[in-house]
Amino acid sequence: MIDRLSLLQKLGVYAATFVFLLFLLMPFIEMLRVSLRPMSHLMTADFTWWSEDFSLQAYRDMWVTVPLLGRYIFNSIFIAVSVTAITMVVVIPAAYAYARLEFPFKALSLGGFLAVNMFTGAVLLIPLYRVLRSLGMLNTYWAMIVPGVAFLIPTGIWLLRSYLEKIPRELEEAAFVDGASRLYTLRRVVIPLAVPGLIVVGTAVFIGAYAQQFLFAITFNNVREIQPLPAGLFEFIGYQDTTWNEMMAAALTGVLPVMLLFLFLQKYLVAGLTAGAVKE
Amino acid sequence: MATLDLQTITKSFGSASVLTGIDLAIRDKEFVVFVGPSGCGKSTLLRIIAGLEAATTGRILIEGVDVSMAAPVDRGIAMVFQSYALYPHLSVYENIAFPLRVAKLPEAEVKAKVGRAADILQLNDKLGLKPGQLSGGQRQRVAIGRSIVRNPKVFLFDEPLSNLDAALRGEMRVELSALQRQLDATMVYVTHDQIEAMTMAHRIVVLNKGRIEQFGTPMELYHHPATKFVATFIGQPNMNLIPATVVDTGAEGLTVDLPGGTRMTLPVDASAARKGDAVEVGIRPENLTLGQGVSMRLRVLERLGGTAIAYGQMEDGLKLCAALHGDAAVHEGEAVGLTFASADAHVFDATGQVMRRQQAPARAA
Ligand SMILES: Nc1ncnc2c1ncn2[C@@H]1O[C@H](COP(=O)(O)OP(=O)(O)OP(=O)(O)O)[C@@H](O)[C@H]1O
Ligand SMILES: [Mg+2]
Repeated sequence: MIDRLSLLQKLGVYAATFVFLLFLLMPFIEMLRVSLRPMSHLMTADFTWWSEDFSLQAYRDMWVTVPLLGRYIFNSIFIAVSVTAITMVVVIPAAYAYARLEFPFKALSLGGFLAVNMFTGAVLLIPLYRVLRSLGMLNTYWAMIVPGVAFLIPTGIWLLRSYLEKIPRELEEAAFVDGASRLYTLRRVVIPLAVPGLIVVGTAVFIGAYAQQFLFAITFNNVREIQPLPAGLFEFIGYQDTTWNEMMAAALTGVLPVMLLFLFLQKYLVAGLTAGAVKE
Repeated sequence: MATLDLQTITKSFGSASVLTGIDLAIRDKEFVVFVGPSGCGKSTLLRIIAGLEAATTGRILIEGVDVSMAAPVDRGIAMVFQSYALYPHLSVYENIAFPLRVAKLPEAEVKAKVGRAADILQLNDKLGLKPGQLSGGQRQRVAIGRSIVRNPKVFLFDEPLSNLDAALRGEMRVELSALQRQLDATMVYVTHDQIEAMTMAHRIVVLNKGRIEQFGTPMELYHHPATKFVATFIGQPNMNLIPATVVDTGAEGLTVDLPGGTRMTLPVDASAARKGDAVEVGIRPENLTLGQGVSMRLRVLERLGGTAIAYGQMEDGLKLCAALHGDAAVHEGEAVGLTFASADAHVFDATGQVMRRQQAPARAA
């Protein structure tokens, strides 16, 4: 595409992008600012982009204030990764079946999945609590993984199904004529071709899993050692005061590994979201 | 002996009937081409033979064995798809080896078989590439390579050349014919290109609206089309159809009045015709010559060198086409008289069935 924007138009585009990004990133910027300042100065000074008193002290102190912080960060990632892995194992064959096979109640069950997604986890917390209690899963990792998986499967099926439908049917028919079974075709032909789609779906599921864990953790778990970071952050709230700067520092540190992962996956994400939009 | 027999195959999708009563006996090592207009059921019939689609009724026999219920791989068939259906993530080598991998053959055997296929198809220096790095003709050859490694009894092709440009298509036509002789295999080939059908087939099946119009050798279809549909479908440019009225019938043929008043006696089997019947006289453009007969106003003249194709209209608006000598002394806009030898005429009754020609070249075996 040829760039036909005049200098003035370009400036306009960049200005608009800047305002938009500022709006999106403001909470993060504020977190960063708070995390860099000593507690005593937090409530006093007016807002400034930069101030003399910035230091990394909070990033050192937070490990002392909350000794289990490292554990919480690990738990967060562990739970989100487990949820994503289990969800994908279920979603891939299910989405393939919805994309390719004909069976009774296909449209109805797909609609059902969408309907389930309309309930937020919060509405179902009490029934879920009872289910998990009868299964003896309360206060275990499972209490945070199983509900997460259950709520993310419908989204995953919907996303992946539409991607798999774009893979030419003839490829599978060719494999079938050559004697390949459905599962062999899925493994050797469909999944390799669906990698960009799988990354998109996997990312969406991971984000979902990360966001959900707070609710499940504070409801279904009170064992400190297996608490994920969002729940663990409560420990920065003391009887006397809250060490806001350390809390923000901990939150940023917890999100950092995920951000790095996304930076790395970015090119696949963009490719995956637009794949099939243009005939190649 | 890879014979292929279809017995009263029918196919409906829901209430839509796509194929009706297909009976066909294909011989060992025969190259049979299915032709017909778009939507007539060619691909559906091929997919039924392949086992990708189940026939609603009827039986399929390969080498005399009923395979109607067998999986594709157990039928001993291989199929080449119109879109090639190559796996974009696998190398040419792995694409060709795919059926062998499915069959779990040992690596040495896979290597030998892929090597042999690559030799036949001249793909030796392309084995490491991905399909995306190949030209259209090379992709086509890879698709064929994948079909030959399993030594199938019957090859099925669904419009394999339709994605190629004209020059490459001509080249691949020749290659495919040669390959068929080299492999000594039975081949069923679907196309809607009548040139492919005429040049490659031992015998042609003309399909129309889910029925077989005619099954015969290319020249048989050319000289003895069984119906008006076949007559106009085979041959380039298309056969002219001139309405006429029967004035007499006899042992030496059918006497008709053509528009413009010319009376001719045509040597066809007239036993079923009656005086006063409306018939259509079919005459191929290449059989029309300048002379006293029917008259048309010449609208467009295409001089191709050896021949000149003349398109015109008769007085009543009927379109005619004649393939004249390249130097024919005619000009656009003028009236041209055309005539033909009575032995070259085809006559079709009101239902489109042919009246058998008596003097045309005999049916080939
Ligand atoms: N899965 C299907 N469901 C319903 N109708 C179908 C299905 N497959 C094919 N048909 C119908 O069957 C008819 C024949 O289709 P087919 O693909 O065999 O035609 P074709 O002769 O191969 O045409 P073309 O030359 O365009 O490829 C068409 O009218 C088509 O709409
Ligand atoms: Mg077709």
